[in-house]
Amino acid sequence: MSKERAIRNLRLCSKDCLCLFVCPTGATDTETGQIDFDKCIGCGACSKACPAGAISMVPYEYPKEQPKDDEVIEKLKFIIESKVDQEQLANYIIKNSNNEGEKFLAKIISKANRLILEDLYRESGYMLPQSKKTKEFLNQLLEKDTTNNEVINKLLNLLNFND
Amino acid sequence: MKKYKCPICGYIYDEEKEGIKFEDLPDDWKCPLCGAPKNIFKAEAIEIEINEENDKNLREMNLGEISALCSSLARGCEKQYLDEEAKLFMTLANYYNNKAQEQGDFSTIIEKINKDLNSNYKKASEIASEKKDRGALRVIGWGEKVTMILKSLIDNGIPTDKKVYVCDVCGFVYVGDEKPEICPVCKVPNFKLLEVKRGA
Repeated sequence: MSKERAIRNLRLCSKDCLCLFVCPTGATDTETGQIDFDKCIGCGACSKACPAGAISMVPYEYPKEQPKDDEVIEKLKFIIESKVDQEQLANYIIKNSNNEGEKFLAKIISKANRLILEDLYRESGYMLPQSKKTKEFLNQLLEKDTTNNEVINKLLNLLNFND
Repeated sequence: MKKYKCPICGYIYDEEKEGIKFEDLPDDWKCPLCGAPKNIFKAEAIEIEINEENDKNLREMNLGEISALCSSLARGCEKQYLDEEAKLFMTLANYYNNKAQEQGDFSTIIEKINKDLNSNYKKASEIASEKKDRGALRVIGWGEKVTMILKSLIDNGIPTDKKVYVCDVCGFVYVGDEKPEICPVCKVPNFKLLEVKRGA
């Protein structure tokens, strides 16, 4: 199997279509605009030829997650806990308030907090979905409740864990 | 309660576990591992304090935290164009988000925001600087700014005749009809500032 695959950023693609000329397997020519990953052999020809810089080569296997200091993680965790509370409080207001203005404000707060939280987790040792920590987290979820075991097992099979 | 360490083999005598104070042990007591005499044992410098903060840090993740971590990982998969994995993580994120519950109002949110701004972000920033973790410094810097914006929105309200955009990268909220060229907090081009519609 190849080590990389080509990915097209559709927002940058200028439709000059040089990738169609240089691709040795026809993987770049599809009805969705995205590369056909099954056909792509990872040669990189399309990426080199693209005048818009819209095609990047993305690896199948990623390097290990960068280590994080425990103290940093601990301090970020306090922020995470607070933001989770704020998000959940906002969700409660969205569900229970009769005032449209309040509901809208709560919706904004809930959204913003979720984005902050996702970013905080990325900096707390969960940057990479293929990491050891993610794998451990998924295994813990399996034990927590069985409702989602099918989903979790699929993830454990699909993700190319690297550690 | 203290701990005493054998300087020869590293064995640790834990008063709490043993139930007997080290000084109450007979003088001819010996290290159970290497036989070193009692009088050369040294007290461990740090007593392990179990304070609220440590305790909280060790406890399990709550449902809201699980949901947020799952949606963060979904985004990670999205960035790698792993669509199926991203969808599966989102299924988990939604499931746990619907189960999570917390009750309160805007004043409770403001209390938490104030604690973030007055303490949580400052402490995190100090440690991140000390450890030279520039990624953490980035997330702290962005998050602090967005938190200030949220506070001012709660304090002042959102004018009903203005559009509202949320930056899909950092969470920055822009109120106004013309989006800025780039997000003022994370500097991403403005196609990532997404309008949030009222109602529905």
